[in-house]
Amino acid sequence: MKNKEHSRPSIKKIQHIQTAMIIGYALIVILAVAVVSQLAVRKTDTVLKSKVTSLTSSLGVQMKLNLDSYISRMETIATLAFGEPSSYTYDATDPNNDEFEAINTEKLISDKLYSLCIMENFVDYGIVYRNNRTVGKISNATSSLFGENIYSELSSMITRTRTNDGWATGYGNDFRHIYYVKKVHENALIVISFYANELDSVFDNPETLSDMEIELVNQDYNILYSKSGSEVGDRLSDDIIDRIKGRGSATIMDDEYLISVNTCDDWYVVCSIPTALILSEKNEMKFFIYLAAVIAAAAAVVIGWILSYRITKPVKQTVTNLDTKARIDQLTGIFNKKSFEEYAHERLDNDDNTSACAMVILDIDDFKSVNDTLGHAFGDIVLARTGSMLRTTFSGEDYVGRIGGDEFCVLVNHTDDGMDIKDYVRGKCEQLCRMFDSNYTGENNDYKVSASIGAAFSPQDGRGFDDMYSACDKALYISKRSGKDTYTFFENISESEGAK
Amino acid sequence: MIKRIAALTAAVLTGLLCSCGEQSVVESQTEQVTITLSWWGNDARNEYTLKAVKRFEEAHPEIKVKCSYSEWSGYEARSRVQMFSGTEADVMQINVGWLSEYSPDGSGYYDLDKLSDTVDLSNFSDDMLEYGRRGEPESTLNAVPIAMNAQTVYINKTIYDKYGLDVPTHWEDFFEAAKVMSKDGVYPLAAADKPMWLYCVAYGEQVSGKKFFDKEGLMTFTADDFKVMIDFYNRLVKEKVSPKLEDYQNFNIDNGVYAGVVGWVSDAQNFMSKAINAGNEIVPAPYTAFEGMQNGEGWYEKPATLYAVSKNTEHPKEAGILLDFMLNSHEWAELQGVEKGIPVSSSARQYLDEIGKLSGLQYEASLVMEENEYISPMDSTIENSDLYQHFFEACNLVLFDKETSDKAAKDLYALYIEDYPV
Repeated sequence: MKNKEHSRPSIKKIQHIQTAMIIGYALIVILAVAVVSQLAVRKTDTVLKSKVTSLTSSLGVQMKLNLDSYISRMETIATLAFGEPSSYTYDATDPNNDEFEAINTEKLISDKLYSLCIMENFVDYGIVYRNNRTVGKISNATSSLFGENIYSELSSMITRTRTNDGWATGYGNDFRHIYYVKKVHENALIVISFYANELDSVFDNPETLSDMEIELVNQDYNILYSKSGSEVGDRLSDDIIDRIKGRGSATIMDDEYLISVNTCDDWYVVCSIPTALILSEKNEMKFFIYLAAVIAAAAAVVIGWILSYRITKPVKQTVTNLDTKARIDQLTGIFNKKSFEEYAHERLDNDDNTSACAMVILDIDDFKSVNDTLGHAFGDIVLARTGSMLRTTFSGEDYVGRIGGDEFCVLVNHTDDGMDIKDYVRGKCEQLCRMFDSNYTGENNDYKVSASIGAAFSPQDGRGFDDMYSACDKALYISKRSGKDTYTFFENISESEGAK
Repeated sequence: MIKRIAALTAAVLTGLLCSCGEQSVVESQTEQVTITLSWWGNDARNEYTLKAVKRFEEAHPEIKVKCSYSEWSGYEARSRVQMFSGTEADVMQINVGWLSEYSPDGSGYYDLDKLSDTVDLSNFSDDMLEYGRRGEPESTLNAVPIAMNAQTVYINKTIYDKYGLDVPTHWEDFFEAAKVMSKDGVYPLAAADKPMWLYCVAYGEQVSGKKFFDKEGLMTFTADDFKVMIDFYNRLVKEKVSPKLEDYQNFNIDNGVYAGVVGWVSDAQNFMSKAINAGNEIVPAPYTAFEGMQNGEGWYEKPATLYAVSKNTEHPKEAGILLDFMLNSHEWAELQGVEKGIPVSSSARQYLDEIGKLSGLQYEASLVMEENEYISPMDSTIENSDLYQHFFEACNLVLFDKETSDKAAKDLYALYIEDYPV
């Protein structure tokens, strides 16, 4: 019924506030979650990078220490050769040597050297004299590599003046062997060499860091050893050189690489890994953080919506009840005078004349005598029934109100399909008269309650509420004056007055 | 409803808080079985073996192979230390002579017949496997041969051609060659200790008509036979056919000071690659002999090397898997080629034939050995280092006029019979 559908602006306002509250809450929650998750991602990123950098730095230092230890051990083994006095007293270049004795002395030195390196994976462990004579273990590979220049080339590898020794590799672009050379006396030096692969044990990194490239490079950044199997002797990639050039001991991390470099004498231990590889878990973590944020935001919005609904529901209901009570006449269940006039005013005063409407006023005849005769309680019943009758007679589109003690008013907004409004209203008036006639005959059918009806049509009988009400009232007056229990259209009055 | 939502929220929060509590982190490491592999060899062998091991580890990620390798010199002594100290590798390349030394009754190495589930022995003939068996009456398979080997005379034909000389086939050919080459400081033939020893043995056997060791392993050579060998060596040095043993340098092969070298079939690439790359034509000469004798008499063939498994290994199954990969797999055969000689394994040999790798100097040297009817299976004892060390000490005494060859030979014989029954 139109009466109930009509709600006051306050109710609508509450609905608007509720919607705005939910949207605002959702925005705040989403914003907060976005900020928190962004902070979490950034913090995670920072912590992860810091930890990874620290770990790589430790690995680099550990590799350097391993290499230092290995190199130190090799140097110690070379020094042990001095435990045999012949090794530093014998000079194979001395022209005064007795050849037979020289052979025996060389055999003695050779046996000593072999016994010292028996358990080592050395390629060479021997003494080379200025006349290129060799004693001990000098491999075919070394012999072939240096040929007749073996002494002079090995001598050139002695770079440290304090200990008269040095490390070298890459002679003739052969990086497979790593040489350690130490001066024995003016005409002799001891040489140790081993395969670069021997450094496998030095650079053995844990499985968790198996993606880490570990390389030993010389000052020209030629690879002397590669954990990943890069070709020994090749130059380190330019990307990595650019990042470590000029640095002795550092860990560098950027968007592309995580690199740790540590100096070991004249060489560098370089540990490197693409950043994307080492931080692959970061993206996974980022995904989970954002996923959790989206779920949390969605959950918060849903919970907020439910809570908001639960909180505003009683308020809305109370306001609605109050609104209904304020608008509806409690006895008849139709608009009270104030509400009716409010809606009727709104309808008629804003009428653009495009649609016809009518106003009907119904006044119960001699209602005072109904109260006096049948009692006020029955009078109330009559009023209630009248309200009910009006509601069922007219459509939900029409406004029905009680505008006085026994006076009712209907603003007809609607007709049945294609029907002329006057015919429609006439039908309704006659229907009402019949209903009064049949239903209000008293408890013993000995008392008749009737009603007088006046009706006016817009726009011909009036345009605003006041005009229409006035016209209706006049029509009602005619109905009353003409014997009651009837209905009158205002236009009929006008016509008759015009005729007079 | 609100109570229910509150209760649900509380439950979720409690759940989250509980799940956010300290949890132990467990990072599993791949459990690998580590086995050790040892071998001796030159750079080329070391490189391809390391590559092949990587292939094996890729094929068997559950097994890690720790490698131990070096050149031959000193390896024998090291192997002895490891064998007697129980620190030998799980899988090892061994010399055939070590079977007699460390496993005369077959108990010194793992019984490979027990690994028949993992090692495919059907690729080897019974005759070949016999080389690796020791012990009586029921012999134990201690090792599997990789390829056959023999001392071979490699001749730099380019140098010989320069002097208008044919490839030498008789002992005297070398002495004749020395007459024309020595004025330029060129030696017609050079050898390191063991090859020179076996070269002298071949000479001695051809002169005496006897084997150094008979079938029972008894030494047949007498002081007179050793005198022949000592005199022969001294003649080689004095007539400048060969440099003194102590003066032998490998790089003299590359620079043309040595026009010929005695070395193993398996050493062909190692010794000669530089000379070949320098444009020299290197050919395997027929086994040196006296005129009228068959080439090959007095010369020996033996398994180049064998693979054995430590009797103390804690991982026999993994050792077997590696052994099979080394002997029979195409992956290993492709890298090894004929570096150790033509593989005995029919699977490896067939594969090398398919991919056209049965070629080159090493292969030609192998053919000289395989096609010779007179070459004999070697008694591995003859390779014992004390035999040739004592021999060259005796030679030096004569060479430097410290003793006569008669006396040196008698003393040498007296020394030998202390350790070698006659």
